[in-house]
Amino acid sequence: MTRVVYLHVGAPKTGTTYLQDRLALNKSSLARHDVHYPLNLHASQFRPALDLLEMPWGGLQENVDGEWDNLVNRVRRQQGKVIVSHEILAAAKPTQVKRAMAGLEGAEVHLVYSARDLARQIPAEWQEGIKHQRKQGFAGFLRRVQTSRRTKPNMWFWRVQSLPDVLSRWSKGLSPERVHLVTVPQSGAPRQELWHRYCRAFGIDPAWAPEQSDRENVSIGAAETTLIRRFNRRLKQAGLPSEEYRRLVRELVVHQTLAQRPNMAKVTLPPAAFPWAEEVAEEWIEWVVGSGIDVIGDVEDLRPVAPSEGEGWANPDRPRRPQMVDAALDAMVALALEAAKRPDPHEQLTARIGRAARRLRRP
Amino acid sequence: MSDPVRQDVPVRPHRVRRVLVHVGTPKTGTSYVQDVLFLNRETLAEQGILYPAERFDEHFLAALDLMELHWGGLETQAVGAWDRLAERVREWPGTVIVSHEILANATRQQVRRALDSFGDPATTEVHVVLSARDLVRQVPAEWQENVKHRRTFDYRTFLDKITDPAREGELASWFWGVQEVPDILERWAGSLPADRVHLVTVPKPGAPRDLLWQRFVTALGLEDVELELETDRANPSMGVPETVLVRRVNQRVNNGVLANEDYRQLVRELLAHRTLSRRTGSPRLALPPDVRDWAIDLSESWIEALAAKGYDVVGALDELRPDAVAPEFCDPDAPDESQVADAAVESVVTLLEEAVRLRHVEQRLNRDLASALAELDRSRGLWFRVKRRLVNIADDNRAAAAGLALYRRARGKVPG
Amino acid sequence: MTTRPEGPAYAQAVWSWAEHLRGGGSTPWSTWVASGSGADATVPPAWSAPGAAQLELVRRLAGLAPARGVDPAAFRALADVVVARSGPGRGLAQQPLSFPPGGAPGRRFGAPPTDPSDVPPAELVRVAVGTLTQLLLEGPAAPAERTELRRRRFSRSPAFALAGAPVTTSAVRRALGVAGHAEGGRHPRVVLVAEPLDETLAQVWSGRVQRGAPVRWGGFVERWSRRRTLPPSADFVRLARQWAREVGRERVHVVVAPADPSGTVADLLGVRLGRERHPELRPRWKNLSPAAVDVARRVNAVLNVRAAGPRRAEAVRACASLLAAVDTPAPRLALPERFGEWATARATRLADDLRADGYPVHGDLVRVVPRFESLPTAPRHDDVLRVVVDACLRRAASTSS
Repeated sequence: MTRVVYLHVGAPKTGTTYLQDRLALNKSSLARHDVHYPLNLHASQFRPALDLLEMPWGGLQENVDGEWDNLVNRVRRQQGKVIVSHEILAAAKPTQVKRAMAGLEGAEVHLVYSARDLARQIPAEWQEGIKHQRKQGFAGFLRRVQTSRRTKPNMWFWRVQSLPDVLSRWSKGLSPERVHLVTVPQSGAPRQELWHRYCRAFGIDPAWAPEQSDRENVSIGAAETTLIRRFNRRLKQAGLPSEEYRRLVRELVVHQTLAQRPNMAKVTLPPAAFPWAEEVAEEWIEWVVGSGIDVIGDVEDLRPVAPSEGEGWANPDRPRRPQMVDAALDAMVALALEAAKRPDPHEQLTARIGRAARRLRRP
Repeated sequence: MSDPVRQDVPVRPHRVRRVLVHVGTPKTGTSYVQDVLFLNRETLAEQGILYPAERFDEHFLAALDLMELHWGGLETQAVGAWDRLAERVREWPGTVIVSHEILANATRQQVRRALDSFGDPATTEVHVVLSARDLVRQVPAEWQENVKHRRTFDYRTFLDKITDPAREGELASWFWGVQEVPDILERWAGSLPADRVHLVTVPKPGAPRDLLWQRFVTALGLEDVELELETDRANPSMGVPETVLVRRVNQRVNNGVLANEDYRQLVRELLAHRTLSRRTGSPRLALPPDVRDWAIDLSESWIEALAAKGYDVVGALDELRPDAVAPEFCDPDAPDESQVADAAVESVVTLLEEAVRLRHVEQRLNRDLASALAELDRSRGLWFRVKRRLVNIADDNRAAAAGLALYRRARGKVPG
Repeated sequence: MTTRPEGPAYAQAVWSWAEHLRGGGSTPWSTWVASGSGADATVPPAWSAPGAAQLELVRRLAGLAPARGVDPAAFRALADVVVARSGPGRGLAQQPLSFPPGGAPGRRFGAPPTDPSDVPPAELVRVAVGTLTQLLLEGPAAPAERTELRRRRFSRSPAFALAGAPVTTSAVRRALGVAGHAEGGRHPRVVLVAEPLDETLAQVWSGRVQRGAPVRWGGFVERWSRRRTLPPSADFVRLARQWAREVGRERVHVVVAPADPSGTVADLLGVRLGRERHPELRPRWKNLSPAAVDVARRVNAVLNVRAAGPRRAEAVRACASLLAAVDTPAPRLALPERFGEWATARATRLADDLRADGYPVHGDLVRVVPRFESLPTAPRHDDVLRVVVDACLRRAASTSS
């Protein structure tokens, strides 16, 4: 029996969290159909990917040495289809790609890359950066994106988002029919459409993974993002450990609190950037069509959709103050409750020591 | 309840005993006076002056008892507190000082009971001391105090309530009960000669720092006592955006989101007192022009009434007259949102740090607990070692380390 | 300016009116002043005028005193307690009496004068609650009540146990006790009385207050609505399961909202209620009207600062007995609307679980779900005032005789 490996390398912000969680949830059901998604104790393949990329990662102190080889060994033990999926893999350097491919020698390797238009990716990546304690404003971020090299890029954004560059790096030695591009549908598509496209890319029947995931990479509004950005500036001085940042800011404040706020003003690309974004999309589409790779979805999805006439653009760096105060109040309540949740250590301790003492007195 | 210094008091040649009752008003440095008296009570006793308190809030509890006030459950500690206080007052041969600002609100019947309890009028000379500050400063301070006690009404609502001559409702009743200087003095001192009524006025901003304290020294007759003074005299007050922010927090955490205990610790103590009060540069709370005019007019009538009474004024009645020049009014009901945003960001950061800190404290305590238990299991009979460890832990603990200031504020200065 | 209220004419009028009221008179202030009575009275030198609320309360008490059997001496003593005190806790400042009635205020400071008949009922309640508390603490201790019949070793009564809505079970326990049937015994038949959830909560609240808690109805419901559990005696599912583990499911009878609780339970146990062998028994938790429970919780609040330990406990008990004696039946309180969803969901779950557990059920489990009739959600001040006034008079009458 042969082994077919599907290597899904990104990009970030293309529904990968949902995909990976759904694969994990349905791991055993998929295995019955000879589709394998190898995981160790951790819930994702993040650590092996990090090992391959030899990258430091904020908040992750532990050693990830050897995790990639472990994953490859696990892949080699499987027969049938094996899926490897992590969005940061898109950033791999040519030598790392070579190492990865060498490890998978003997298997039929398919490369899967998912992409979304820049008008949605740029605000999303900016927000993601802010959630990882960056401090740059949206305007500055956009300027860097627009002025950075898109081939052989230095900037992280383009290393994972520059479609031709990522695919050239990763598809070396693969025939075009084994390279699959999944486009993220524009808004208004049915909810499950993206999931179905992924299924087609991996050649699996959606019915093999019936368990739905409720995980989504949530997004927050302009006022909320700028609020976090302002914390980051202040937290730099305060020296909050990144583990605490992850737990309190990213999880508690952003995901559990701010993301739940109704009627947030979305972060969008300024109208002036659209002609440029359309140009880039044109380049991508040309490249895709010319390369003859397998497109799942519609290449037209890669074109940015400009806002309709008359729809004003709100500068995310200058959000409406009342909204920001309102968001801050939500954050304050969440944090106050978190602080209040810590039981009075003294009382609890006394009670527990008291219990211990009673235990002791017993014959 | 034995008083450590009561036995060998050098009795001064007093033919009559003097009792000085300091009955308010709030926000006039009363806590500072009480702190100094409490910390120096042994020195004072050596000089024949008794400040009868085993705990710093004893007079507060006595006042709760006298006035049958409930105060968030604290009143259960106040059972019999007035009678205990009065007994110590009666037993002391020299001068006694009683001080708490909520006493200002006592009714005539309660005042009667209080004065009667101090001892035989033939041998007891009762003096009433009241410290007062001009209304233009007192009114905003009172709103801020209300906001720090979870109230959510806006500034205008508060002003409307207190300026309504009908004084309907508890808020207005309490405000006037503790702030209306001529009426407080009539209730407390209606039966006393004017020279036993001492009105201490709070100096205007810009006066020497210790002038107010010097006036208290005069009014309370402490000139001959060498007192150790507290250094921290700051009476924390917040600016407009900060007060607005706390009010909005209240709107979210009332209805049971945050328990009183947690509110006190996190919102009042950590945010209001330790974070927001320290911000500088925010506009201060002031009176809107219409209310200011009303306050100026009212102050004049008070000054007139007080002057006619011929009380002993320590300071000057003129100081109760608001400044002629009004500071710019910054309306807390229509604040500059970017200033509020700044205060909010700072508050979130503070809370983040607190959440981290508490988690670390918890982790450390859990480690300590684990080792305490291990020790316990290893060595039965070494119970005292665990106890000792417990004491050590308690020393480190946030509840135990909170200190006097926090505890007092817990007791609040506003009906809660 | 007009006459200052503190002028001598004012003092003469107030003093003479106070004396008139003390003597049992109930002429309203405005009439008193208009008639010019007391213009030549000599006011004792140390006297200071009570507030409008105190005097108005004395007037209300005076109007009812003869009918309640309070003799003149006892009434004077009662009146003296009222005027010597002020209302406990927070409320309005003590107001002087308007003089001349309806006239303009005579000065720029002090609480505004008022006609005593305009004093809001809430203020009269506050003063009356202070008075009642004082009477409870001062007077002789109430005779101990017998609330439980001890089961004798070889009792021929069937073994039984009661659980559920506390006030209803107290009444049933008493009815059975009067007839000589004491709770207990080996392997009992268990009767779980499941009243509608809102009614049950009201009973638990009543019980809490009768044990000394100063909690308001709204606050009580609010607190429980936020918890995952129900108060122990309202958590029918837990109660039933606990008993079922002990005696078996088939011996746990769920009686739902019975019209005649004692009769229903007696029938179920196969006993008769006819004989009155222990008529002295009193229910542990009195069936008090919402207004009476509210009086009790207000008294409890004052007791917090007035008494501790056994003295407080004794006053709390005396208060409940006194209120039970003067109270008149009234509809219970409804749940405030914002708890509607929580209560309905919680009660529906209770009913479903009880049904699923398969106990013998008497009545329709659907009745456990509150129906949100248009009842008041808080006691009315007028009702509260009526109860507390009656309680003061009753207490005054009983201490004098």
